[in-house]
Amino acid sequence: MALRIGIDVGGTFTDAVLVDNGVIAAATKVSTPADVNTLLPTVLEALEALRVTDITQVEQITVSTTLMTNAILQNRLTKSELYLIPGYGMKLDALPWPVPYQAFKGQLDFRGREVEALDPADIEQQARRLTREGSLPCAAIVGKFSHRNNAQELTFDQILRKNAPGIQTTLGHRWGGANFYRRALTAYLNMAGQELFAAFASELTRAIREKGYEAPVYVLKADGGVLPLEEVRPVDTIYSGPAASVLGALALAEETADSYLVIDVGGTTTDMGLVLGQVPLLSAKGAKIGGFLTQIRSLAVRSLPLGGDSVVELRRGAVEIQPYREGTPYCLGGPKLTPTDAMCYLQIIDFGDPKKAEEALMEQLRADGGAAAEAEARGLAQDILKAMTKKILAAMTDLEKEWREEPAYKIWQVLHPQRREQFPIWLSGGPAPGLVRELSEQSRRAVKISRQAGFANAAGAALARPAFSRTLHMDTVVGRYRIEETGEQGAWQGSKRARGEAERLIEEIMRKETIKRELEPDDWQKDEFDYFPVVDGYRMAGQIVRGSWSMPSGIIGRVKR
Amino acid sequence: MKKTALMFFPAFDWSLGETHPEREERLLYTQEQLFEEGVMDLPQIVQLNPTVAPLQAVCRAQALFPGPEAHDLEAHRIAAGSALVMGDAWAKKEIHNGFALVRPPGHHAGAVVRGNRGFCTLNNEAILINHLRSRYGYQRIAVIDTDVHHGDGTQNIFYHDPQVLFISLHQDGRTLYPGSGFAEEKGGPNAWGQTLNIPLPPGTGDEGYHYILENWVLPRVQAFQPQVIINSAGQDNHYSDPLARMNVTARGYGKITELLQPHIAVLEGGYSIESALPYVNLAILLALAGEDYSQVREPKGPQRAPVQFEAFKRYYQELRSQEEKAKANWTKRRVASLLDQEWVSDAYSVYYDTEGFQEARQEYIRPCAHCGGTVVIMSKLPPDETVSTLIRIPFQACDPCAQTGLELWQLLTEKSGAKHGSEAVLLQNQNSDEILLWQRAKGVTRF
Ligand SMILES: [Zn+2]
Ligand SMILES: [Zn+2]
Repeated sequence: MALRIGIDVGGTFTDAVLVDNGVIAAATKVSTPADVNTLLPTVLEALEALRVTDITQVEQITVSTTLMTNAILQNRLTKSELYLIPGYGMKLDALPWPVPYQAFKGQLDFRGREVEALDPADIEQQARRLTREGSLPCAAIVGKFSHRNNAQELTFDQILRKNAPGIQTTLGHRWGGANFYRRALTAYLNMAGQELFAAFASELTRAIREKGYEAPVYVLKADGGVLPLEEVRPVDTIYSGPAASVLGALALAEETADSYLVIDVGGTTTDMGLVLGQVPLLSAKGAKIGGFLTQIRSLAVRSLPLGGDSVVELRRGAVEIQPYREGTPYCLGGPKLTPTDAMCYLQIIDFGDPKKAEEALMEQLRADGGAAAEAEARGLAQDILKAMTKKILAAMTDLEKEWREEPAYKIWQVLHPQRREQFPIWLSGGPAPGLVRELSEQSRRAVKISRQAGFANAAGAALARPAFSRTLHMDTVVGRYRIEETGEQGAWQGSKRARGEAERLIEEIMRKETIKRELEPDDWQKDEFDYFPVVDGYRMAGQIVRGSWSMPSGIIGRVKR
Repeated sequence: MKKTALMFFPAFDWSLGETHPEREERLLYTQEQLFEEGVMDLPQIVQLNPTVAPLQAVCRAQALFPGPEAHDLEAHRIAAGSALVMGDAWAKKEIHNGFALVRPPGHHAGAVVRGNRGFCTLNNEAILINHLRSRYGYQRIAVIDTDVHHGDGTQNIFYHDPQVLFISLHQDGRTLYPGSGFAEEKGGPNAWGQTLNIPLPPGTGDEGYHYILENWVLPRVQAFQPQVIINSAGQDNHYSDPLARMNVTARGYGKITELLQPHIAVLEGGYSIESALPYVNLAILLALAGEDYSQVREPKGPQRAPVQFEAFKRYYQELRSQEEKAKANWTKRRVASLLDQEWVSDAYSVYYDTEGFQEARQEYIRPCAHCGGTVVIMSKLPPDETVSTLIRIPFQACDPCAQTGLELWQLLTEKSGAKHGSEAVLLQNQNSDEILLWQRAKGVTRF
């Protein structure tokens, strides 16, 4: 294996590592400035700091970026139109729409059959209005049940483009799962983030090329997989930070560990995820970001606004950890008391100035009107770590609960519930060493920590492999099939009873992608297909088939000690 | 915020046969419709997860003879367990109301179970109701069965129970399975008037259905002041149903739900799996969640016009006076073999259509002015003369009734060696929550 580079843009630091045949050959840390416009220079600065000499030997550069996450949360997206084809059903405003939309005529049913046609005149009129107003924005076009049949979305798109030449569009069926509302918001975000992401992608690629790298640039996605920068759908790159944490644990954990909880404590946030049998757990639901519920596939993770730099206050003897940071910890020259100061004072981490840490603790004690002696300072420091650990454990319990309580729709699932297992904890991140003891005491679980805890995320990004799944939905009576993850749809001309044929179809689709990504088909995870007999009158008319094969997210190789 | 729970258990790996109406496909399109609409993302909706109903809860409501092990219960116990999970969430005030969208159904399963009938083996609502009574102490429960078929199983289980008001609206038994549910069926000797049957003419439609609810059902429910309202929400009144002809729409179902305001609705029948279920289920869930269901529309409207409303009102008046005129007519007699006490007795047979056999039942009710009265049901499958017996001591039983039940248990299990002794005896002591099954081969099992 040649050289791979991973760059993780975190809230506090941007880390980069160079992995040479499974060994971290170089690692750097630069601070992430608050100003988002400096994202590109920051990434380049981290890359530069690695001082890679054999530039031509680098086979892949992977970036995990907060670009889309922050753009959505800080409302810095391009304005996009949102055109819906809702048909009858639940009232549109039963759910909160964080952005304005316009509804158009047309309707499909739950098997994708047309109930009501589009009204071309309506769409033409809308297009003319856009042209007249002189603004040619972009538009997301989303129909109810379009994941079953994209015909109305395609026609709508055609009419709109013809009458408003130059308009950019995103169609909802590309996010193939059932949920009109989420599909609409996902398509909207993707459209609205397109310009920003495309600019970042092209500038980053150009800058990297200018430095002489020829390696392809990949970007980490919420589901823990990576894709080339130019292929990825922008929204799919949200929450890559927590995904990097989970992959980082996979990269650094010992070979023997099979299932464990990952807790990555950063300066600003603590991310956690679950690894089951060496595979990161995917969330059953799409990700939620800001006011947007989406269809974005993501790992089952929790992200807490809690880290080594979080501001700590003492109020009437009670420790309050605030969900924000105000710079570095006091013991590192910062303005406020933080959990890092508590760790530093208790001498369980080897950085920071213990004298300054003591000063910060004493000051809080005095400000709260209490005694400020060594015993109290010690007590306060311990209380801070206890409070922080308690919050982490609550989120961890919640995450395990989500996994155990995934809805069961089959008898088999009810009779075989998830094990009530006490997973060991794999801890990483800069402040991690300071929490080992408290975490193992409070959780009564084995807690392990990586030696290169501070670079887990970047290592995870460096070694992340392309991960993908292909979920087939086929209706042999209507004669259509679709792939949930890519939104691909097509006519089915095979048998009405498609057992065997359906598997061959998914195998073909998987094989193409596997070859394209230069992976081995041995790693496929093949789930059992479901075949629902469809009855017409008292006669079997065909089948509805559902099934999923995947290349689970994971890492290429492993970091050696 | 008032929470509405959805328990969605479509049993995607269970059917009564590839082309049987009760097959894997039944809730497939409902799932697609609900998920596509995004109802799970409504802030007031919480999704619950199913579990297997304990046999104790099952046997508190029904006697499975010769024993639970003789029946294929897996899917049925999960459907019943789903109702229990929802009942617990409701009783603990975690939810305001909820919809157990589960299969298989249960309302044709009665006090004694010898097999599957009308696709039902376990009565999900009855198991839920007795669970709520024993666990949380509720004493007034109303069950309104809006399936197009008479809820004969539920009626059978609560026929002698003065604490349960059972109301069934259904297409007239002269034109539809199971052929029962006439206005004269008003309850047993200790629970007269606690059963209300409203047989409706084919073609009743939304207007007629709502009229009956507003003018007859709701006043009756209000007068009873129930602590819990359960709706057996069958969907075969829909105009597209292949078996019945009631002409109700999905929006009509939304209104039914809105009028009844059930705490817990449990899916029963309904086999128009494409034209009705996705829309009816959506309308019911939206109505429970307090959302507007007026935009829920089936692609194809009703093909037939409903019956003329004035004619329907005349039908209603006649039916109502017929129901009022029906008087209790019970004769007590001393039964030597049953402790030589006075009993009201009744004999009837039950047909199990799924497997095609007949059960003969002899029922004895202890007349009592203080409680529901001890009930004894002797069941056999002719021509086999072997008897299995259910002894039920009711919730809040008076001492003499409780005593009688316990003495009978002694008597019947001791006399087991006798020629016409029982094969199995189930003691359903609801009063002290003691459920015991004696079987000739195994002795006593405590649930
Ligand atoms: Zn029915
Ligand atoms: Zn009594």
